[in-house]
Amino acid sequence: MAEVMAAGRRRLLGGLAAAAGVSPALTAFLGGRAEALTRGGETDVAILQAAVALENQAIALYEQGLRRGLFPPALRAYAVEFRGDHLGHRDTQVAIARERGQGLPEPLPRYEFGRLRPGDEMIRRVLVIEDAAQRAYTALISQIAARDYLLAAAFVLVDEVRHLTVWRRVLGLRIY
Amino acid sequence: MDSTGEHGGASRRTLLRALAAVPLGLSLPRRAGAAEYGSAAEVLDAIERLAAALDAQLEALGAAVPSARALVASLRADHRRHRDERARLRRRLGLAGPPLAERRPAAAPSLAPLRAAQEALVYAHAEGLPALGDPFAVDRLAHHMVELARHLAIIDLWIQTEEERG
Repeated sequence: MAEVMAAGRRRLLGGLAAAAGVSPALTAFLGGRAEALTRGGETDVAILQAAVALENQAIALYEQGLRRGLFPPALRAYAVEFRGDHLGHRDTQVAIARERGQGLPEPLPRYEFGRLRPGDEMIRRVLVIEDAAQRAYTALISQIAARDYLLAAAFVLVDEVRHLTVWRRVLGLRIY
Repeated sequence: MDSTGEHGGASRRTLLRALAAVPLGLSLPRRAGAAEYGSAAEVLDAIERLAAALDAQLEALGAAVPSARALVASLRADHRRHRDERARLRRRLGLAGPPLAERRPAAAPSLAPLRAAQEALVYAHAEGLPALGDPFAVDRLAHHMVELARHLAIIDLWIQTEEERG
């Protein structure tokens, strides 16, 4: 499972980098090929761009799963809650970028997730994106310069950890 | 087992919606009761105090609920590691050692105060990150926050299970 998640995460981050115009420096940092970014406004905007692209991807995956009834009925409430969290994360970061006079990537017209299957398979798909989100925010948070964005990113990260922990428990994976 | 308590998801969403709804900068809205830290020393002192309160809750619960002992032992081991790392951070930042731990009365074993103590510690980390002023320190405390947020989610799941059992 760990290898499947790692491969999924690499595909996801690579795809995001290509689709969302994530800066090469940020891509190198997330891929472990750079130790630090130059802290400042430009890096904050690059992080905002990557984060919003990731949030849009998560929102689209949850929406497809919910629209097609792919989440087990007993877990649908979690999926609705977590989709709402991702919407909040995206809107918060869009607001932060706008305050800086920066535009951010719009959602793609269509997200290609391949064949989505119901039940545990759907949970595994959202688990991959939640794992990628947690790792990306954890890696990037120390590179954020602006105090207001750092505070918002910290609360976003707390949410991502909750999502990941819930889905790991649903799948019977270790949580402590 | 007392399992009442406000779930954290709603308060986090409220904060994030408030953040999204208004211009940020100096008008950044704060959650009710939020701490605004002025220095790394303040952050670390607050974390030591809250971590000690949480540890008292965990110790009481571990003693009262045998089935929870493995979980409690795992969480307390994480806390000890965090405390050691904070001591190293203090040395790196040239700060005095942590304040002497207060001797706390034994806590009543209950999930609601445990959750409240856990949430307070998570929030202290989140609200403290901007005051640290050192990317290495932010990175370390962010990693601690991730582990503590996971503990908080586990406690929420535990509370939910207790509620479902009635």
